Amino acid sequence: MKTFLISAGVMALMAGAASAADDLTLQLKWVTQAQFGGYYVAKDKGFYEEEGLNVTIKPGGPDIAPVQVLAGGGADVTVEWMPAALAAREKGLPIVNIAQPFKKSGMMLTCLKESGVTDPKADFKGKTLGVWFSGNEYPFLSWMNHLGLATDGSPEGVTVLKQGFNVDPLLQKQAACISTMTYNEYWQVIDAGIAAEDLVTFKYEEQGVATLEDGLYVLEEKLGDPAMEDKLVRFVRASMKGWKYAEEHPEEAAEIVLENDETGAQTIEHQTRMAGEIAKLTAGSSGALDEADYQRTVDTLLSGGSDPVISKAPDGAWSHAITDKALN
Amino acid sequence: MSNAFAMIAIWLGAVALNTVLARRAGRLPSVLVPMIFGATILVLWEMACRRLAVPAVILPAPSQIWSAFAGNLPLLWGDFVQTILKGALSGWLIGAALAVVTAIAIDRSPFLQRGLLPIGNFVAALPIVGVAPILVMWFGFDWQSKAAVVVVMVFFPILVNMVAGLKATDALARDQIATWGASYAQALVKLRLPAALPFLFNGLKITTTLALIGAIVAEFFGSPTRGMGFRISTAVGQLDMALVWAEILVAALSGTLFYGIVALTEKRLTFWHPSQRQ
Repeated sequence: MKTFLISAGVMALMAGAASAADDLTLQLKWVTQAQFGGYYVAKDKGFYEEEGLNVTIKPGGPDIAPVQVLAGGGADVTVEWMPAALAAREKGLPIVNIAQPFKKSGMMLTCLKESGVTDPKADFKGKTLGVWFSGNEYPFLSWMNHLGLATDGSPEGVTVLKQGFNVDPLLQKQAACISTMTYNEYWQVIDAGIAAEDLVTFKYEEQGVATLEDGLYVLEEKLGDPAMEDKLVRFVRASMKGWKYAEEHPEEAAEIVLENDETGAQTIEHQTRMAGEIAKLTAGSSGALDEADYQRTVDTLLSGGSDPVISKAPDGAWSHAITDKALN
Repeated sequence: MSNAFAMIAIWLGAVALNTVLARRAGRLPSVLVPMIFGATILVLWEMACRRLAVPAVILPAPSQIWSAFAGNLPLLWGDFVQTILKGALSGWLIGAALAVVTAIAIDRSPFLQRGLLPIGNFVAALPIVGVAPILVMWFGFDWQSKAAVVVVMVFFPILVNMVAGLKATDALARDQIATWGASYAQALVKLRLPAALPFLFNGLKITTTLALIGAIVAEFFGSPTRGMGFRISTAVGQLDMALVWAEILVAALSGTLFYGIVALTEKRLTFWHPSQRQ
């Protein structure tokens, strides 16, 4: 009886300790991979725990729109690209950027050299280009607007294919160029046996149409709640600690990601390479959104054309409230 | 609270009205009852969305869906032509023709029966999410690959029904036509194919919906920038849920129409069958 009481007491204490940690759910933009290494590092290295947080990381996938999960209450914070987030804001869903761990964009078009594309301005006309949709089409559409190319398949413009999340259209030569990320699909093309010298790549960064990727977003109303704000401050602080650790130890980050991958679909080679490429994109970001980057993103998206991604400059789409407290 | 009361009141009122109507015989009640039921669902949906302030990105109200439908008719028509007429219908016709020919071949030769039926079975068991990306790779991004997915999906149900249908004549009738000196081909055309029609139409009716599903879902795996599956998957990413529901409405209407046409054809062709007696 006595031992029972003691053990019951210990159990109660432990339960108390567990519930003292605040629960928080993070919805990723895509499947578990090194693109989100910082969050997995923060979780496995105990950075979240040190801040008194119990963080659940939900992987995304091709059929998951992170912003919708956020709106439905399935997550507190979501990782999203800014174009999709701003478009959602214009659609009447008030979401706010609270932190921006990624400084640079990893998006590019990868073309077969044999398709004869060397200069986007001159050579895209009449070509077939693979594009991802589900909210990822916005940067591409802005770029085509910049180049003055219609995307409706007219002979003066480009033909757009809705590309699945693989690189088959390029391997099958069904498209002259496809969308790739520097840290993921580009390497899938290389792994499929196409030599780097047979490819031409156009990075959105270098074309001057880069938009911010992988920021952290919450619903606006959450920022009004002091308890929630405090939770978010701790979450951002721990996450950035995780990101900087992942930046310095990409191999270890890749291993941690692999341990967390429940699908078993990822390989250590691919993840290590990805972690290395991701480190280049997070370098130079303290986590606080740089206003100049935000402005460039908005200008890119507003840039006229027949089909602008957003019709007017958004208002209140980002906040420094969380990062100011978290990082100083 | 008053919201809930108002909604429950409307629902109970509609139930009472339908109960009264359903007790009366005649043509008018049989049309009115389902219409009242449908209207009640729509009214309650609209009320729930407005009064509980459901965000449009989760569930748009019927009025929003209708305005998205009415405001995008050219777009929806283009998607309908791409997916239903080019993808689903052509795939369904090719699949049905192949299945009927295969069924006759199987019926003719026991060797094929042992070889082809298991293969048909195997094809039927392939999941669409596995087949679709491969067929997109083989047949390109346009409607041809969607038609190929539909062929794979509708082939087996029609085949199984048709094989059963060809066995549907009894020995007495077959002996009778043999005594009149009919060749195999004559017996097939005059006796066994007509007898198989009710079975064939079963397969055709089942596969109308399968064809729609196949053509729409196949577009998730790569498509040109038009089509119902394309629109549904991309509009979700753009949080334009009203447009998604408008496409779902188009799919529902075309599915009903498609099924109705097949059922009507069956009525015309198999008027002699007991199931068609009024």
